[in-house]
Amino acid sequence: MKTLFTTTAALTIMASGAFAEDYTIGVSNTVQGNGWREQMICAMRAQALVEPDVTNIIVAHRNTDSAGQLEDLNNLIEAGVDAIVLNPSNPDALNSALENAMAQGIVVVAVDAGVTADGAYILSNNQEEYAYLGAKWLFEQLGGSGDVVYMRGIAGVSADTDRDNGFKRALAEHPGINVVHEVFTGWQQDQGKQQMFDFLATGIPFDGVWTSGIDNVIVDAFTESSAPLVPIVGADNAGFVQYLSTVDGFEGAAVTNPGSVGGAGIALAVDILNGNAPDSHTVLVDPVLWENTTDEGRATIANAQNPDLDPEWPVSVSIPGFTDYSMEQIIACEGPSGG
Amino acid sequence: MTLIRNNAWVISLALLLAVLLAITKAIQPGFGAPGLESLARAALPFAFATAGMAIVVIVGGIDLSVASMMAVCAVTAAVLMERMAGIPALLIVLVVGAAMGAINGALIVLTKVPDIVVTLAMLFVWEGVALLILSTPGGATADWLEAAIRGFFLFSWLPKALLIIAIVTALIWAPLRGTKLGLSIYAVGSDERAAFRSGVSVGRTRVIAYALCGLFCAFGGLSLAALTGIGEPVPGPYLLAAVAAVVLGGVVLGGGKGGLLGPVIAVFILRIIRTILTLMAVDPNVTTIVEGVIMVGVVMLGTALTMKGAQR
Repeated sequence: MKTLFTTTAALTIMASGAFAEDYTIGVSNTVQGNGWREQMICAMRAQALVEPDVTNIIVAHRNTDSAGQLEDLNNLIEAGVDAIVLNPSNPDALNSALENAMAQGIVVVAVDAGVTADGAYILSNNQEEYAYLGAKWLFEQLGGSGDVVYMRGIAGVSADTDRDNGFKRALAEHPGINVVHEVFTGWQQDQGKQQMFDFLATGIPFDGVWTSGIDNVIVDAFTESSAPLVPIVGADNAGFVQYLSTVDGFEGAAVTNPGSVGGAGIALAVDILNGNAPDSHTVLVDPVLWENTTDEGRATIANAQNPDLDPEWPVSVSIPGFTDYSMEQIIACEGPSGG
Repeated sequence: MTLIRNNAWVISLALLLAVLLAITKAIQPGFGAPGLESLARAALPFAFATAGMAIVVIVGGIDLSVASMMAVCAVTAAVLMERMAGIPALLIVLVVGAAMGAINGALIVLTKVPDIVVTLAMLFVWEGVALLILSTPGGATADWLEAAIRGFFLFSWLPKALLIIAIVTALIWAPLRGTKLGLSIYAVGSDERAAFRSGVSVGRTRVIAYALCGLFCAFGGLSLAALTGIGEPVPGPYLLAAVAAVVLGGVVLGGGKGGLLGPVIAVFILRIIRTILTLMAVDPNVTTIVEGVIMVGVVMLGTALTMKGAQR
């Protein structure tokens, strides 16, 4: 009730003039110690720091199951937060707490994955566009005809299904391209590398490789088997981006899949609190492509690299149009009032 | 006086819980009945895992497979309730839980391999079984099951979840404690050989204790399903939390001493500490350190006080 009252009060004040608001934002995440998720948390803190209306951020960040996330969400509601930004452990399991939160006027934004609770906002990377962008670059790089190896993620996972749709869309636009080998890496480095070794050993010729983010080990597989490098598409993982600027004769492109989508979630939550809700409850962040075949592309890659950046993090630390913090601020990983 | 002396630990824990609730209220003046209700709901799976663990620790063993058994029961409930009536499904889950516990106990008694080794192995076995039943989170639970743990009962301050913990624990444990079986559990835990010479069937007692643990895990799994509305095959963080609450609750690792009330109060203490840390916006990486330090501190203080009392 208190939250509903403060939200109403806040809206009244906002209508009357340009005062800075006094929002507290709660964050809930259930995977700790993973580079992508840690970047997400730091992006959330950094974005909360630069939002003038946010004075406090409470982060519930631990390894737990859906029941544990429910506990964290209920604790955040008790703490009287104005908005909750969460990376949901499961789309269906959290509805009781999320519906309770929204009934009290708390804005709910799910980042990275969706939730089925009515009224919640969902903000995630556009995985279909991710695959389309990389595949289109690869197919154009090959001049519109050639044989490619298609290295996917995990069968049945929604991100893989979405990426497959994007890949197929690019394939349909380039009838001269032929998929000679399709394989699931399970998003496992060692497995993907072995699969590339095995395929190179068959001697079947091919002209390019599209990977779903298991990328730098594929370059390793080529160099270790002394095979001539072909164009390879990967994600913006630090190791792969480094190869793009250091491996001689290697042509490739990295497509961004930023963990900083968490920072975009904070920005979206503040927009909604300030009365600027988006038209749709689902917001997709479009990826960008960094290639090393033009001077412009090489300059972008050089800019993105920072020795202070955690090697486990995706290299794209911000999302243009969504996040406002600097690279120093996300590396510092500090929110307002030390949260 | 003897009543107070015999229950000194449990009374101290209850006082500690009261102090922590007062602190919560001081930090967040808005903390009231709804806060207590969500606290009781969060405590549900932990309380049942802890009650089960307490019984096997009292009998002188330990069950490392509690979280995995809860996962099996949660997915079984979610799969069955999607296909059949709720009550029979619930009864099947309880039988499955008790059966898993009995299998753990029987393996320990028959093979004479230490409890910790057998249940460690069974941790992986039950985890695999849960994944065989449901490879990804899914299924559905009966609506009444979700409603049963939410809200208040009769009074606006009595959360249903708290009542369920009290009733289930009391129904299973209270009638047992004074019986021959209850005494046998304590006897086997304090001195197996002496118990054997006094005519206690040691093997049978241990199998029953493990089966009771499995039964509590079934209630734990049902709570998970009721909380989330689905079944999750990957075990949650309930094993170490249960061991922690058992130790904090005054049950002696090694067996023979303690009860169920202390550990269940300890569960609430550990949950309210997390609530306080969240309300205070403590860095999440520091939170677990604080939780661990408080636990060790309380147990050390308790041991020191107990030893002082014994010297007097």
